Amino acid sequence: MSPRPVLALVAANLRRHARDRVGLFFMVIMPFVSIVFVGMAIGDGGGRLPVGVVAHGSGPVVAALLDELGRRPDLEVTRVGSADDLRSGVRSGALAAGLIIPDDPAHLRLVATQANGSGLAARSAVDVAVGRVAAVQEATRAAVAAGATPAQAAAYVRQAQEESGRVAVTGGSADAADPRGFAYTAPANLLLFTFINSMAVAAALVESRRLGMLQRALTAPVRRTSVLLGEALSRFLVALAQAGLIVVVSASAFGVTWGDPLGVAAVVGVFALVATGAALLVGTLLNAPDQAPAIGPPLGVVLGMLGGCLWPREASGEVINAVGRLFPHAWGMDALLTLARPGTGLTAVLPQLAVLAGMAALLLGAALALFRRRALTVG
Amino acid sequence: MTASDPMTTPSTPPVPSTPPVPESAPSPPALSCRGLSKRYGDVHAVRDVGFDIAPGEAYGLLGPNGAGKTTTISMLVGLIRPGGGHVRVCGVDLAADPMRAKARIGYVPQEIALYPELTGRENLRFFGRLFGLPRRALAGRIDEVLDLVGLTGRADSRLKTYSGGMKRRINIGTALLHRPDVLILDEPTVGVDPQSRKAILDGVERLVGEGMSLLYTSHYMEEVERVCDRVAIIDHGRIIAEGTRRELIALVGGADKVELSLDGDLETALAKLRAVEGVIEAAMTGAASIRLLTEGGRYLLPALITAVDGCAAVTATQVIEPDLEATFLHLTGSTLRD
Repeated sequence: MSPRPVLALVAANLRRHARDRVGLFFMVIMPFVSIVFVGMAIGDGGGRLPVGVVAHGSGPVVAALLDELGRRPDLEVTRVGSADDLRSGVRSGALAAGLIIPDDPAHLRLVATQANGSGLAARSAVDVAVGRVAAVQEATRAAVAAGATPAQAAAYVRQAQEESGRVAVTGGSADAADPRGFAYTAPANLLLFTFINSMAVAAALVESRRLGMLQRALTAPVRRTSVLLGEALSRFLVALAQAGLIVVVSASAFGVTWGDPLGVAAVVGVFALVATGAALLVGTLLNAPDQAPAIGPPLGVVLGMLGGCLWPREASGEVINAVGRLFPHAWGMDALLTLARPGTGLTAVLPQLAVLAGMAALLLGAALALFRRRALTVG
Repeated sequence: MTASDPMTTPSTPPVPSTPPVPESAPSPPALSCRGLSKRYGDVHAVRDVGFDIAPGEAYGLLGPNGAGKTTTISMLVGLIRPGGGHVRVCGVDLAADPMRAKARIGYVPQEIALYPELTGRENLRFFGRLFGLPRRALAGRIDEVLDLVGLTGRADSRLKTYSGGMKRRINIGTALLHRPDVLILDEPTVGVDPQSRKAILDGVERLVGEGMSLLYTSHYMEEVERVCDRVAIIDHGRIIAEGTRRELIALVGGADKVELSLDGDLETALAKLRAVEGVIEAAMTGAASIRLLTEGGRYLLPALITAVDGCAAVTATQVIEPDLEATFLHLTGSTLRD
């Protein structure tokens, strides 16, 4: 099979898309408007979780705890006047979690909601901070018990801390909280706009069918497979271009860290295949070009909502998140957010990739079969 | 527009389009089909259609809507698989070697199948690539075709800014890029202004004159009469008559109508006219007019004028010869523009 007809179709289709100013606006401008505004709305704070602290005493343990919490790079610690204020802050969502340090610091009280990713993350960060203070206390107590003076004990512990500081803890639990700000909205909008714009450009395919371009192409010495491949490749390249643009611009302009390039390329590539399948399906089933932009984007928005692309997943209920698992966006979000965590790579997202690849195979298979039958039929 | 532009030069008389005389080894027909048939359920869209188009010959396919013209053409260009029969393009079997056969056909569909967002040149480039023209040769050929269809000046404007006639011309130009042996035009002048229509017909005649074979369908009888050497009349999926224009008209009988306007004694004139050899029937159609049914109307005129000499003077004559439309009406019982 000669590649020339395939390339001819791709070149013509890409040129058509490049001439569509409205389409270009939605591809080049809108994703970044959404990334910036939603990113600002769901807060960034350098990715810090707001934690409130009510501290009654002023002993060395309390001071050590406050100091340790203040050192945490992932926490934004605020002193709150009363336990009631703290609870209301957590309830309203202004605080991810709260810590009440009573006079007797041996009985700390944590205030957090149960089913909330930020709450869980804040809780685990507070746990680590408390654990570190407790460890210092315990080590000091043990040194004193072994006969050291308190000053010696403190020196030993400091030395031990410095040595342990060289040990880096990598990896994260599966339940680690989603990032906030651009780190969340960039991958969310990558998926959202790659899908929506793929659906919108399906209008060009409907137009090609309506004009009889595909039929006419078949009167040239061109195989049906070439026409099929040319049309599919055109949509795939549009999806890839959209995703690539968001990755590059968000990384360079907003400092978004995407993670392992190979992993990101694999996720974006498979998701672009899903979007291509959806676009071909829409382009084959609809009969009027105007229907594609009318049906495609709303569908893309709904799938984006279910997949956590419009607002943070933790803001959605469990039911919505579970339903979202039926569609590609949720798996794409999962994969991209996992890759954004340090120390992860392609292997960390193999399950998500497998699910997305399965969805792509189903959609593309159905779309290509239908497209061949409806648009390229030789009766 | 250039002086040598066959699509746009109204002053150039059409080159007579006679099929070249075969030399020692007769070349195969440019397009040949036998026993073509296609059924959709119980409906026979096309039944046992067959014809040959010689190299350089212009062949017309005439029939009302729904007669099976487009289905026939779709089978000839490989868009529809025939239920029966076969198609050969310059001796190449379309079913056995579709790539080689299609490469020799230039097909212009009835609808304008071009990308409106692309320029005329870009549309031509797209189809040139589909036909496998090498990049360097393509650029030059596009310029030639643009010149041929008289759109060099508008080549880089987007198609959606073109008039209907200009779009039609690019639509035809698209099919000429690869220098096909057979050009198939499906109703190429539908919806165009008279000027573009004339330009298209002049251009088509020029191409045929230069040796290209043509299959032409049209609703416009006068176009088929003007452009085509031979015509097939198709109705209800069958070819019901085929031949040169003269042969087809002879099918209705050679009777021409002659309308005479006279001054003088019409009764006597009528009796004298009836006696002229070749006059089949004569009748008074008014106080000063007589209608005759004759054989060879226009050749009979001097004898008719001589016959009435002395009793009446002929002030006006009109000879109405039967045309393809009359033949069509006679054969199918319906008019073409049904």
